[in-house]
Amino acid sequence: MFRSRSWFGASWGRPRNPHSLERLKYLHNILSKNTTVSESNRGTLVESLRCIAEILIWGDQNDSSVFDFFLEKNMLSYFLKIMRQKCGDYLLSNNHVNSIIVHKFDVSDEEVMAYYISFLKTLSLKLNNHTIHFFYNEHTKDFPLYTEAIKFFNHPESMVRIAVRTLTLNVYRVQDASMLRFIRDRTAAPYFSNLVWFIGKHILELDACVRNDADHQSQQKLDDLVAEHLDHLHYINDILCLNIPDLNDVLTEHLLHKLLIPLYIYSLTSESARRPVTSSPYNRDNIQSIEVITRNLEAIIKGKCSDTPPRLTYPIQRMESEEETKPSVSCVVALFLLSQVFLIITHGPIVHALAWIIIQSDLSVFEDGATRILEMYLSKAKTNIKLEFSKPQLSLEKALETSGQERDYTTPEYSGSKDFAYDLDKDTDLSSCDLDPELVSTSLPSTSHISETSSIAHDSTEDLVTQIHSVKPTAVTAVAQNMPDSPLPDSGIDSSSSKTLSELNNITDEEKQKLLGTMPSTSAEKTMTIESILEKENREIVKRPFLKTVLDSLDCSENDYRALFALCLLFALINNKGVNTELLDTLLCPEVDDTTSKVTNTDSANTSNQDEVCGDGNSQQGTPARTTKRPMQSFNALLINKLMAIANLSCKPTSKVRLVTCELSVRLVRVAMQGASGVAGARHVAAVDALRARAAALARNFYKCDDIFLDMFEDEYCEMSKRPLNVEWLCMDAAILLPPTRTPMSGIAFTKRLPSGEMERARRAIRTFFLIRDLYLKLTGKPETQLPLANPSPFVQVGEVLDLNDSDLISCDIIQKDGTWHHRFLAVDNIQIILVEPDKQKMGWGVAKLVGSLQDLEIQGDKDDPRCLQLTIHKPRVGSSGALARTVLLRAKFKFDDHIRSMAAKQRLTKGRTKARQKKMQQIGRLLEVSGISAPSMAQRHRPLFTRPGLSAVRRSSGADSDETERRLRRPSGHVLKDGIVVYRERTTSRESSVSRSSSTHGSRDGSPRARSEDIPLEDIRRNMAIAATPVTVTQSQPSTSTQVPKAVSMSSEETSFISGEAPRHKRKGIVETI
Amino acid sequence: MAYAYLFKYIIIGDTGVGKSCLLLQFTDKRFQPVHDLTIGVEFGARMITIDGKQIKLQIWDTAGQEAFRSITRSYYRGAAGALLVYDITRRDTFNHLTTWLEDARQHSNSNMVIMLIGNKSDLESRREVKKEEGEAFAREHGLVFMETSAKTAANVEEAFINTAKEIYEKIQEGVFDINNEANGIKIGPQHSTGGGTSGAGGAGTGGAAGGGCC
Repeated sequence: MFRSRSWFGASWGRPRNPHSLERLKYLHNILSKNTTVSESNRGTLVESLRCIAEILIWGDQNDSSVFDFFLEKNMLSYFLKIMRQKCGDYLLSNNHVNSIIVHKFDVSDEEVMAYYISFLKTLSLKLNNHTIHFFYNEHTKDFPLYTEAIKFFNHPESMVRIAVRTLTLNVYRVQDASMLRFIRDRTAAPYFSNLVWFIGKHILELDACVRNDADHQSQQKLDDLVAEHLDHLHYINDILCLNIPDLNDVLTEHLLHKLLIPLYIYSLTSESARRPVTSSPYNRDNIQSIEVITRNLEAIIKGKCSDTPPRLTYPIQRMESEEETKPSVSCVVALFLLSQVFLIITHGPIVHALAWIIIQSDLSVFEDGATRILEMYLSKAKTNIKLEFSKPQLSLEKALETSGQERDYTTPEYSGSKDFAYDLDKDTDLSSCDLDPELVSTSLPSTSHISETSSIAHDSTEDLVTQIHSVKPTAVTAVAQNMPDSPLPDSGIDSSSSKTLSELNNITDEEKQKLLGTMPSTSAEKTMTIESILEKENREIVKRPFLKTVLDSLDCSENDYRALFALCLLFALINNKGVNTELLDTLLCPEVDDTTSKVTNTDSANTSNQDEVCGDGNSQQGTPARTTKRPMQSFNALLINKLMAIANLSCKPTSKVRLVTCELSVRLVRVAMQGASGVAGARHVAAVDALRARAAALARNFYKCDDIFLDMFEDEYCEMSKRPLNVEWLCMDAAILLPPTRTPMSGIAFTKRLPSGEMERARRAIRTFFLIRDLYLKLTGKPETQLPLANPSPFVQVGEVLDLNDSDLISCDIIQKDGTWHHRFLAVDNIQIILVEPDKQKMGWGVAKLVGSLQDLEIQGDKDDPRCLQLTIHKPRVGSSGALARTVLLRAKFKFDDHIRSMAAKQRLTKGRTKARQKKMQQIGRLLEVSGISAPSMAQRHRPLFTRPGLSAVRRSSGADSDETERRLRRPSGHVLKDGIVVYRERTTSRESSVSRSSSTHGSRDGSPRARSEDIPLEDIRRNMAIAATPVTVTQSQPSTSTQVPKAVSMSSEETSFISGEAPRHKRKGIVETI
Repeated sequence: MAYAYLFKYIIIGDTGVGKSCLLLQFTDKRFQPVHDLTIGVEFGARMITIDGKQIKLQIWDTAGQEAFRSITRSYYRGAAGALLVYDITRRDTFNHLTTWLEDARQHSNSNMVIMLIGNKSDLESRREVKKEEGEAFAREHGLVFMETSAKTAANVEEAFINTAKEIYEKIQEGVFDINNEANGIKIGPQHSTGGGTSGAGGAGTGGAAGGGCC
């Protein structure tokens, strides 16, 4: 291109190698001679810049001198100069990369935006402890790569948003202390507050979508909204998992205070607590229109009510004002979202705090102390982070713009907060603590702080919200980290202000006293009946509004819409690694009298304090001195009661409980019943046994001697063992957010909707039975012995060598649709159809080429040719390894020598199929306790296929070279082998024998184990050996034999010699002798 | 530049299978043999024409971001098409396809068009994966299959364009909700959203359903 142009320096020959230092020097020369962009040199310059980039990349891997030269000549300055000319923008900086980053590109052009953000993302991928200094200027506190990028965190284009998230994660993981401090001090609050705000807005949209879509019209939109929420949670979790303490503290605080508690948790309480009087299931959330929500949002955005602390009024007033001002989501959505939170996020301070609030917080949150709290507010006039879902008062961009200026880097809302180290100047006593790690260890809380906290400690009616709110300096962080039994490393640190802790637990001294007073009666209670325990728990639960909502949601009498989410939440809660197990004992352990040890632990943890600031001597780790015993209030019995109610409902024919709900509740029942000990009590086992009987009765309704029942039964078992419920996946499915539906046309999976029609009701009944039976077995520790339905004998494996002497074999040609053709012998066992070809080494033995179960066989006559049968053999379903969609093993036309043989084969197969299925039905009958079916009885009536009396198993030989002598020795004596002719003897009592010529004389059909003469004439095996020997390829092409190819080949060669030796005998084919 | 639709693509597959090279060849018609592990080429766009309509393809390279679950998740979901690439000279890259596909299927929207690409078809002498194997895999999993060479440009255009055609057909059938940008499809600025297209899409769906019933 520029080769033809002479003006750029003839003295510089163009180096041939496109990747070399010489070439770079040459290009540098071009740049230096073309500092001004014009029409004439535009093309040259573009190509030169491109080549330079290429050489740099090459040099990065191959020649470090390239980059040195690049730096030495400050070539980036050329880039910038050229860029400025093009864009007409003038920027001054000696930091060229950063200049490019902060260059005001036209980001409204989607392509420019895409290239720009990709460029930033690419740079971030290259960040490490060394390169970070090219981008982050420690002295000027300047980090444009990061600050510019996060401005686009909410860009409408999803790929841009993803790129921003990638970039932020790449930045955080560099772990450069100075850079991270910058991130935390200058950007964390604005970025995270905005992030959290948009997540919340998004959730309101999701909620509106759920409310307005009773007819499943916008499933796709809902899908996207749910997926987006999951993206957010995963992103947050990815940040938290980088384990950067400072960052995590800020993020945790914002999440809890701005989103999870005000929006998720409070939405949970909408009906039971906010409106204790009207406990109508139709709470205002169901009635509240999207307009109200929008209005609420607007109000907040306008800041109309943002100055009013949200929970300062008495309940009734508050209710009204809330309707105007507080956004919330429906209880269903809240349960669903919280489940997702617990499924994804494992960061202790977040999940433990949330779990604690859900399980432990009591009514005082709503009812008491409001006045005092108001007073507190007024007296302190503090501007703590409010516990509400509200919009950051400055846009992120604004906040970042001003971040260089003193104290303006946070939103006003945060500026007075004592939560940040950089905010030292401010706000009186409350600012005495900060998060700076260096300071934390040395600074002490101010005395005013302590006195304030201690005064609060005596307020037994402290509002939880305000508690968290008012929790000091370290505020939020302290809250999170000092939750009882918090898994945080610093949770053990004692503090002088143990009160924060007890605030959180709502255990005040007063309460403690009360509890102590009630101790004796509590221990007496252990001997109480289950009814009285339940009654007590029911009484107690009223005091725990959030937990009550969750447990109340388990009520399925109307439908299981909400119950499913409550189950998901409980499941997620119980399985979250970040939630301390002792907290879960409230749900999972029955109240015990010897609570001493456990309670002591809990209590000491509760009282152990949290103020990390107090590193002084009087802090005692874990405060062992305070071993006040507090009997744990357990709700284990209540939980089990509710879960069992769901399971019981599932066993009703008209139940409105979906399978997925049943499965989840059954799982939780097990956990709840096993408690900490892992062993269920006798009472529980008895209850589950009764449940099992009910489930069996339900399934029994559908038990018919109908072909389809067996198939459904095995199918469902297969499906269930193959796809055990995955709750995480379940909670990714937006479809469950819509009210339960019945129709399969909704596209919703069977387990997630109600059964439609008799067939699906049968399937549901079967599955319910499996689930509950499994629960029973697991609780009792019994092994499963009856499922999957066992076959009386194991299947022969393809390739096995079988002793077929004296077996019934029918010679046939198998013709497949594609025209492939094989010759085989058909053998029929009790349960299986086996196609064999003669073993070339052992007379009378055969190699199984295809094995199918009789049960899964379809038999059809051929209209055109009476000698033919159309057979379809399906793959057997065996437990979890079975084929789900019925896989066809072989579908082919079987051509027999004549129509008699064809009929014989048909009858034998049909009979075998019926019998195999009957046997399985009997097994099911026993499982379902169908009356009249008792012990297995039919087994003896079936003689084994193979001639060895008393040996049902086919003789197997894995290799051709196995010990033949041994096999011969074990051969049954009854076989007849005369003069090279195999004589077949039929011992079955089955009806098909009547087809044969001679059997017509036999009246007795069964019960006779004695050999009967048999007649289905079968073939001289050797004739067919000869046939088989020729088409070796046939063997190979048969679908099931692919693994046998090498063997088949080798055998065929031997066979050839065998056949040639025995050639004369071929002529004696078809002779049948009857004994 | 004006376009009727914009389709977002992602390219996935093991490292070193030539993802970036495919992108470069398609958007820039160049082949760059000496290439860092994906630096620089992270994004590319090109205009193509289907059915007389200008369609812009935006290709986002996702390499280097596997460390974060949130990121891979989101990428899959934001794309209308995915090129799943393996290297015909390296069997292991073929063996990993199942994992890639599982990931894609789990995270993407169900309508995403996935094209299987066996790259480096110019290196016939070093071939380890037969073309038939690629075809069989594609058939089994319902993918479109093609062997390409980013070096010689063989089939590269076709790979991208055929994928676009399939997406376009799905739009015509009304399978994609084109008003929902989360699908990785965007309607061009001059294209009216309310009228023609969605109407046509609706009619398509109705027609198909009707056929099924009868």
